[in-house]
Amino acid sequence: MTRKPAGCAQIADDLLATAVGEAVRGAAERVAQHVAACGACRRELEGYRALDETVAALRAAPLSEAEQATARTRLERTLADLRSRLLAYRIFPSPLGPILLARSELGISLVEYLGQDATLQASRLLRESGVDVIEGGEELDAAYRQLQEYLEGRRRRLEWPLDLRLAGSAFQRAVLQATADIPYGAVVSYARLAQEVGKASATRAVAQALRRNPLPIAIPCHRVIGTSGALTGYAGNKVGLKERLLTLEGVPTAAQAGMPTIRPQAMYWLYPGDTEYCIPTCPSLSTRPLAAMTHFGAREHAEAAGYRPCTTCRPDLHPISR
Amino acid sequence: MSQVFEALVSAHHDEIYRYLRRAVGPAGDAEDLCQETFLRGYRAYATLPQDANVRAWLFAIATNLTKNYFRAETRRRRAYSEVQATVRETTDGRPEAEMLSRETGALVEAIVQGLPLKQRLAFTQRKLHGLDYETIAQSLGCSAESARAHVFQALRKIRRALDGHGLRPGEPLQ
Repeated sequence: MTRKPAGCAQIADDLLATAVGEAVRGAAERVAQHVAACGACRRELEGYRALDETVAALRAAPLSEAEQATARTRLERTLADLRSRLLAYRIFPSPLGPILLARSELGISLVEYLGQDATLQASRLLRESGVDVIEGGEELDAAYRQLQEYLEGRRRRLEWPLDLRLAGSAFQRAVLQATADIPYGAVVSYARLAQEVGKASATRAVAQALRRNPLPIAIPCHRVIGTSGALTGYAGNKVGLKERLLTLEGVPTAAQAGMPTIRPQAMYWLYPGDTEYCIPTCPSLSTRPLAAMTHFGAREHAEAAGYRPCTTCRPDLHPISR
Repeated sequence: MSQVFEALVSAHHDEIYRYLRRAVGPAGDAEDLCQETFLRGYRAYATLPQDANVRAWLFAIATNLTKNYFRAETRRRRAYSEVQATVRETTDGRPEAEMLSRETGALVEAIVQGLPLKQRLAFTQRKLHGLDYETIAQSLGCSAESARAHVFQALRKIRRALDGHGLRPGEPLQ
């Protein structure tokens, strides 16, 4: 290949740039001037222009359309599967310590008190099978805001879509569903809950199911207590949290033999199926078993749950003083 | 989050697939790499800043996967020898008129397959996908000037290779 004259070698870059539409300022003019006098370079320019057109045609033309479509279908299927298994989490500060919130595409799946070690490593998420875990973004902000409002006493109900995928068994799910119905500011016994799910003798199984509640606060297992009134068990060993939550909801507690306990005599009572709530000494309650009762800490919470003051014992006229 | 990502797949999948198809060639794993690109994108999407250039980001992921793909030495050798075969098939034993009437485009594709990786990727991103030099530079890990140089070197090589096959793009039949 013969070497180009000096002028042609100098203009070569600008010439190529001009041919493919990437000329810098002034280059196009210089090139036009040069090729006006240089036939070889003019042919170069035309050659590159033609190449650019061929390339432009490639850009517009389809490529491996069948494979492309197959690839896309396969990807969409994989993403749908992935989406269904994906849990996005974030760890938030709270008055109860660091709390991990995780959600799937269906709803909030996990609320976890992390204690000292506020990292993903401490979370049960890493030990769940069939889930993929990623760090979440703002989709958890709204849930956190509601949680904050609840913990500050400014909200009585978390309006979260819930996903019970981390609840192990049908029995556990049934227990959690029944627990979700317990109103704000009320407590019921394990025995009562066992009766609700149709397994009156399975009190211990109910307690176990609640121990593994993946959605504390949202599903208010803190409102479930021993028949004696004792605040037995919460999230493993976090009875202190249970007490704080009950206090927040206006349920009075006291220490009894070293164990925090509710004071049923200082609460309003409701028998399942009744529409009216009573003071503890109401005659209409005399034949009812204590274990079956719902106990409310405050009249406003009983009434917010849709119950009316009993027309016999008149809690509205004789409210419990503390 | 998931509906937004679905929209991204709709908007960018086919383009990313075509990019990878040219990046690794017809015998390569474009489909697998494309899948992996979007899976990585899906996992990282929640932490992407609001104003991020999603298209450029997807190209960067795809490019990264391509570079990893070619780092396996044996793959590189295999891909090269397959490309040589493709080019030979296109030109052996055919009368010149038939050659000229065959799509020059297909030959350009084959020549692009034989380019060094960075030139092929820079050329494809610039001339077939219209990406700006900043984006190309970021995905290749070089400067914008280098990216431009890669594109121009690719163009020169394609032109010379076409000359070598006796084809001048755009020339009328004799």
